[in-house]
Amino acid sequence: MKKILALVLSVILLTAVTSTEAMAFWGKKEKKEKLVVWLPPIGENDKVVWEPILKEYEEANNVDVELEIIPWENYSEKYAAGIASGQGPDVGYMYAEMFPQFIEMGAVEDLTPYLTKEDYEKYIYIQHGKMMGGMYGLGIEAANPAVIYYNKDILASIGEDVPVTWEDFIRCATKATKDTDKDGKADQWGFSQGWGAPYFGDLNWNWYGFLWQAGGDIFNDDLKSVRFNDKAGVKAAEFLRDLKFKYDVLPPYYMAQTNKEMLQTTFGPGKSLFSIFLSSAAGEILDKSFPDLNYGIILSLEDEDKGTFASVDQLVLMSGAKDKKLAFGLIEHMLSTESMTKFHKHHPRAPIAVGEPYQGDPRLQKMIETQEGVYRPLVVGPHGVEIYEYLWKQLQMMMAGEKSAKESLDEAAAYSNRLLAK
Amino acid sequence: MQNVEILLIDEKPKKRFCIKRLAGKGKPYGFIGPLSLLLFTFYVIPIFLSIYFSFTDYNIIKKPGFIGLSNYRDLLLDETFKASIKNTFIFTLGVVPAQTIFSLFMASWLVSRGKSRLTEFVKGAMFIPVISSMVLVSIVWRILLNGEGSPLNMILNILNITQPNWLGDSSIVLFVLMGITVWKNTGYFMILYIAGLMEIPKNYTEAARVDGAGRWRVFYHITLPLLKPTTIMVVFLGMVWSLQTFDLIYTLTGGGPGNASMTLVLHIYNNAFKNFNAGYAMTIANILLFFSAMAAIVQKSFLKKEKSEVY
Repeated sequence: MKKILALVLSVILLTAVTSTEAMAFWGKKEKKEKLVVWLPPIGENDKVVWEPILKEYEEANNVDVELEIIPWENYSEKYAAGIASGQGPDVGYMYAEMFPQFIEMGAVEDLTPYLTKEDYEKYIYIQHGKMMGGMYGLGIEAANPAVIYYNKDILASIGEDVPVTWEDFIRCATKATKDTDKDGKADQWGFSQGWGAPYFGDLNWNWYGFLWQAGGDIFNDDLKSVRFNDKAGVKAAEFLRDLKFKYDVLPPYYMAQTNKEMLQTTFGPGKSLFSIFLSSAAGEILDKSFPDLNYGIILSLEDEDKGTFASVDQLVLMSGAKDKKLAFGLIEHMLSTESMTKFHKHHPRAPIAVGEPYQGDPRLQKMIETQEGVYRPLVVGPHGVEIYEYLWKQLQMMMAGEKSAKESLDEAAAYSNRLLAK
Repeated sequence: MQNVEILLIDEKPKKRFCIKRLAGKGKPYGFIGPLSLLLFTFYVIPIFLSIYFSFTDYNIIKKPGFIGLSNYRDLLLDETFKASIKNTFIFTLGVVPAQTIFSLFMASWLVSRGKSRLTEFVKGAMFIPVISSMVLVSIVWRILLNGEGSPLNMILNILNITQPNWLGDSSIVLFVLMGITVWKNTGYFMILYIAGLMEIPKNYTEAARVDGAGRWRVFYHITLPLLKPTTIMVVFLGMVWSLQTFDLIYTLTGGGPGNASMTLVLHIYNNAFKNFNAGYAMTIANILLFFSAMAAIVQKSFLKKEKSEVY
């Protein structure tokens, strides 16, 4: 009996000593709530830039914020593994291609009930968060379009003006492709476009812009079938294929390198007239590595229409977040005018929230402020990753000369439509 | 008063739990038990799970729903799967004989030369690729092969030899990857062969030499038959590694250009972790399991047949 009484008393004593009040009394801190944020690297040393911004939220809300920067390689795999094991973030960063799968899985929270009328006025790219019947994200990275870089010296040497149409582009590229050292082999190229990327990311600059310029698109409006193999799509694909097989203006290693590699190995050293990549590469690659390069930028060529790709990547509230209100508050804090002003001071980009000064590349300011509509993001459609991956492989086969433009697009469309019909 | 147990004549003593007795009776099971449990948990159960999941639409996060043979039907329409099967077989049929012959040749040369500075250097040089991380190897090879300014292409340029598009030409990319794999694996199999060669009793070869056999005859009639167990292991391991090859291709080409270097394991990975079609990925994994099992059965039958041919 004595033993039982002693045991009961011990339990009561232990409970009293470890209770919240007792912990506070004894000077021990109550265990804080923790929010986990997963971001990809937008620039270099992102963690250092984000830390003071996150600290403000930690102090104001008595919460711990744990930031993890995840490399772009295997970014979506990390999310899948994290969510499946219950170790995913509370707040995450997603690009358009990622959304369909995670929305379908129920891993991303619809933000509609959290947003106020002021939010709709505050965030510049808020309309791009609307997808698949809900509002699934708030834009954090936008207005960084894919552009065509041109070498001003080479252009002047062939006596041409900056190209506007596809015909201009082909003419200039053909004239620029030549053997400058007279050794019998061409060593200057019209267009250093790379088709060797292992994954579909390079569709962003190699395909979407040309497809839109030809008047085509990826999905039909109901998102239940694709239309990239219609007349406009085939025209765009044939234009790209002809650059190699009719005009031969691409370097011989075009199937081995990515566009970024092409910028570094061919355009940067002045061995090609045109190259194509993100506008941010001007400051981050060309100015840093090739300070003497005399280059200019074309936002879009013109055929039936104008158009180029510019992603709107989003911050999302994960459905697995324990305290969703607190996590959404963190998203709002990260995207606030004050926070973004601080962040973009280190990683110059166009503003995200109203009231933020323009801190991006000054050479691109006018283009970014006046040409919205010419640069545009992808429509988020079901099975995005599978469709883009398959399409990329088919276009690679086309560019390798294994298939015609129509064959490769029809094959990709048949595969895509089978998936969309499921 | 002390509590004393009195044993009557017709009563047997109570059996108490005794580790010593248990260990005595089931000693062998005690030794293999823990490992068997691990094998069962991490190898056998996943195989049955993957067979089950191949009949579902499992996507890693959602609860799997039964869809019958749908995944197997989709395989028949999947051009990437067809390309990956073809590439995996070409890769295996190219890599296994090449690395087996090359490692046997290197091992024989090294053993016949005995210990010297040169042989030690060659041994070390051959083994460095084996211990290097495959990701690192891939990065180095990408730098060596990719583009006009890559070191290898610059050498070819100086020699006025046309530079092949190593990683960008669909017709050669698989062979380039096979070459790198042979280079990476040969050192490992060479060590196995060296061990095999060292085990051969010297009096066998000496007796043959006394009888007037030349080096080639000794090698063909004595060394090679005695190396059969090693060869079978080298071939079998090589086959399994080749069937499951992933990291080199993933890092260097991602299966491209197009599907020119797509393999089964890469296709499994893409489906499971990029497309989140885990059910479909497991369907492909079961096909791969079937081929690996066939390879194991063939190897086992060889081992049975060829046992104790000379010894």
